Amino acid sequence: MTTYAGEYLDLLPEPPAGRVTAAFRADVARAVGPGGLITEPAQLRTYECDGLTGYRVTPALVVLPATTEEVAAVVRLCARDGVPFVARGAGTGLSGGALPVADGIVIGLARMRAVLSVDVDDQRAVVQPGVTNAGISAAVAPHDLYFAPDPSSQVVCTIGGNVAENSGGAHCLKYGFTTNHVLALTFVTADGDVVQLGGDAPDPVGPDLRAVVLGSEGTLGVVTEITVRLLRRPEAVRTLVADFADAEDAGNAVSDIVAAGIVPAAVEMLDELAIDACERAVQAGYTPGCPAALVVELDGVAAEVEDEFERVQEICRRNRTTHVRIAADPEERARVWKGRKAAFAAMGRISPDYFVQDGVIPRTRLGSTLTRIRQMSEQAGLRVANVFHAGDGNLHPLVLYDGAVPGEAERAEHLATAIVELCVEQGGSITGEHGVGSDKACSMPKMFGPDDLTVMARVRAAFDPQGICNPGKVLPTPRLCGERPGPHRPHPLEAAGVIERL
Amino acid sequence: MTVAGGTRTRVEQPGTVAEAADLLRGSSGPLLFRGAGTKRAWAGRPAEPALVVDTARLSGVLAYHPADMTVAVGAGMPLADLQALLAEEGQWLALDPGTEEAGATVGGLLATGDSGPRRLRYGALRDLVIGVTLVLPDGTVARGGGRVIKNVAGYDLPKLLYGSLGTLGLVAEVVLRLHPRPGASATATVRVPVDRAAELARRLRASPLEPAAVDWADLDGGLLAARFEGTAAGVEGRREAALALLADGAPAAWRTGDGEQAVWRRLAEPHRPDGEATLAAAGTRPGRTSEVARALAASGDDAGVRTGLASRPALGLHTARFTGPPAAVAAAVTAWRARVLALGGTVLLRERPPAVDAELDPLGPPPSSVGLLRALRRRLDPQARCAPGRLGSWLDPAPREDGPRS
Ligand SMILES: Cc1cc2nc3c(=O)[nH]c(=O)nc-3n(C[C@H](O)[C@H](O)[C@H](O)COP(=O)(O)OP(=O)(O)OC[C@H]3O[C@@H](n4cnc5c(N)ncnc54)[C@H](O)[C@@H]3O)c2cc1C
Ligand SMILES: Cc1cc2nc3c(=O)[nH]c(=O)nc-3n(C[C@H](O)[C@H](O)[C@H](O)COP(=O)(O)OP(=O)(O)OC[C@H]3O[C@@H](n4cnc5c(N)ncnc54)[C@H](O)[C@@H]3O)c2cc1C
Repeated sequence: MTTYAGEYLDLLPEPPAGRVTAAFRADVARAVGPGGLITEPAQLRTYECDGLTGYRVTPALVVLPATTEEVAAVVRLCARDGVPFVARGAGTGLSGGALPVADGIVIGLARMRAVLSVDVDDQRAVVQPGVTNAGISAAVAPHDLYFAPDPSSQVVCTIGGNVAENSGGAHCLKYGFTTNHVLALTFVTADGDVVQLGGDAPDPVGPDLRAVVLGSEGTLGVVTEITVRLLRRPEAVRTLVADFADAEDAGNAVSDIVAAGIVPAAVEMLDELAIDACERAVQAGYTPGCPAALVVELDGVAAEVEDEFERVQEICRRNRTTHVRIAADPEERARVWKGRKAAFAAMGRISPDYFVQDGVIPRTRLGSTLTRIRQMSEQAGLRVANVFHAGDGNLHPLVLYDGAVPGEAERAEHLATAIVELCVEQGGSITGEHGVGSDKACSMPKMFGPDDLTVMARVRAAFDPQGICNPGKVLPTPRLCGERPGPHRPHPLEAAGVIERL
Repeated sequence: MTVAGGTRTRVEQPGTVAEAADLLRGSSGPLLFRGAGTKRAWAGRPAEPALVVDTARLSGVLAYHPADMTVAVGAGMPLADLQALLAEEGQWLALDPGTEEAGATVGGLLATGDSGPRRLRYGALRDLVIGVTLVLPDGTVARGGGRVIKNVAGYDLPKLLYGSLGTLGLVAEVVLRLHPRPGASATATVRVPVDRAAELARRLRASPLEPAAVDWADLDGGLLAARFEGTAAGVEGRREAALALLADGAPAAWRTGDGEQAVWRRLAEPHRPDGEATLAAAGTRPGRTSEVARALAASGDDAGVRTGLASRPALGLHTARFTGPPAAVAAAVTAWRARVLALGGTVLLRERPPAVDAELDPLGPPPSSVGLLRALRRRLDPQARCAPGRLGSWLDPAPREDGPRS
């Protein structure tokens, strides 16, 4: 028996039949002009993976268009010849979303990095997809404005990638995700048409196509211009780090804050291992050896923030905090955040290798889930560091391992997968912000039934009937996942020798 | 359960998702999905349906987790009932549309994208919906999104349905993100014409005062209201600055309690149908508010039609009303729509007397994305059964007179 509906299989034509031929190459070269083409094998290799470095495929060709028209021209050629293409921003994605397709091309948006306009009065900016997330806020900072979604990778990752992944960040608890901050998109469809999705108005008339492109991981088309909503900087910001003797107390404090009707700008939790790694990397002033630290930030109008900040401290004390550190000034706040945002990269300080996992649970299951993760970690004999968005239940367990020890990588991957399945069992999600990509396509059936997937495949086919737009991502296929998709298999591209694990 | 309908129209009220799926699978001909029916006329008028699927019995609470601040309900749940339930836990769905009192349902609100003044602070239903169960005309039941507030697995079907006006399928269940009820609220009001109102709205947005709502309507020569919510200290702490900002020229008043309620009831009125006027809703950049007003006055004058305007100048949402002979109203709406589109905005035709339709293209020119809309419709509703005509020529292009025929 298969878990796929027959219709589903018909909707996902694969693999695309087209090839990069000499004629195609020549046409693409003409479409993008000088400097827009990468063909050297060594250079092509730099595009072989994204932040999920375990999977690598060298693309046949990399194109770096400079304008929307160039993107459209290249996509039209792909459509003509049935050549698959993968859009790429900065390649910081953690789910293999920008993993190239063998015999396909990569459309890199890195050269399109202009802030096209800033409308201070209407609090919005029009930017090209290659602008970095932090670059937007930097460009509008003189006007007391900023772009709210703040992934930890914000200095490097692009707004195009953010749109494709519907990226989040620490401050999304109060302010929402990328999808809540994008007003309009210029979008190149899979057959190379240029259309507007959304616009000046808060809502389009009719179904919200902009919303379905947001978070579609580059599988519906290429985004070439983004109108983002900007927020006024809040009058007051207050940040504290509260230490707790165990995660249970910290989790209860979070629950009590929420129950008190307070919506913090951010609530983050770090466990002992995460603190250890961060402190070694950036010395942000977290307490070494502390089993669980909460970072709580409030922002808004001054009178309200002061009021609620007192109440948050009181709630921390009631839940037996062992130490409260209050950021005295913006520099200290920046240090606290530097520590938190360095967490993933800092793991290198305490482990040769690690998997970053991303799963969501209902926030109230925090305590019990952390306990389960600890048990699973002990059983597997592998350390798991936890650093996560506690306010919205978005866990980032980091499974530490040593790739040089035979079998350890496999055990670590196994554990990472088991943790994300635990999230689904608790009524949560396989991904809160890193996306499905190629990494978790085979886990989609854990969360969605055959008919759910069929309807998603219909949506995909409506945008990309040929299946040339980032194929093999998001939706599971028998080729990727076997007849009965399950996450416990080696990646089939790996098994087939198409990609290699490092 | 079958409910008496018109002569050719069957009306059914399925009680479960499975019943709804069986019903749709076993039916043929045009479909209409109905919540409370408060916005039945929005956009184009659909063809007479063979089957009306009424969500009145899909109205239960499926799961309410106050501590997680999420709730799952049947699409036919009236918003007012939901708010009453949530209020017991000090929570609310942060949505205050004017149709709430008329019984508007959660499914109908999602399908129309209706919202109220406090969208400024909390966003629209688009921003609050986290999961959905959809029943397609062929009976396929699909879930999209999830039950947790943060989730990026798969395509965002919940948001795709936002504003879909019942053209893609039946929304059967909705999962929503909730907010704590603010502890205190106060509203500053000032009498100003629209140009002033637009400028004051701009200054409010540029200030750190974080208004929850900013509404203006042409009542008594122009009434602007700015609402502030939060803790008692936070609201009171903004009083002085808010009044100073608003009171340049005219004196501003600070209202709480019943006085505040009364202001917002008055400001909701001009967004509601009165059975006579033709209503149309426009969306633009906030900074275009004055131009929208001027365009409305000019369009009304040219056609000899009485017009009225109510705006959310910090959001760029406007409701225009037109009263006069049907042909003149149609001309005024068409002219205004052309001017708003030229400003980069959108116009959604709302309630109007049937006679107006004879002279009016309900949708106007299609957006550049119409090809994608049609492709989506073909995939989800290949026989074009869902409310044919609702999105007028956009989804169901009229056969071209002079075009090639096969
Ligand atoms: C250290 C670290 C920390 C991180 N922290 C966070 C975090 O806090 N929150 C979070 O959400 N993520 C986080 N991420 C993940 C990653 O940074 C985000 O997913 C980011 O949005 C990816 O942007 P990118 O430009 O690198 O995109 P890429 O990795 O290049 O691409 C990502 C996906 O987007 C598609 N894509 C890219 N550009 C376009 C375009 N213009 N049009 C259509 N599709 C496009 C690609 O095809 C691919 O599927 C982190 C990653 C790292 C390495
Ligand atoms: C037989 C009858 C006749 C009526 N005549 C009138 C009248 O002439 N004038 C008048 O003002 N009122 C009329 N009403 C009034 C009316 O029922 C109420 O005013 C009504 O409160 C509310 O609607 P709603 O907001 O829930 O969404 P609705 O108005 O029911 O629906 C709005 C839009 O959303 C779609 N939709 C609704 N629910 C879903 C869903 N679950 N899934 C997908 N799409 C959905 C609809 O197809 C429609 O496009 C009539 C009602 C009935 C039953």
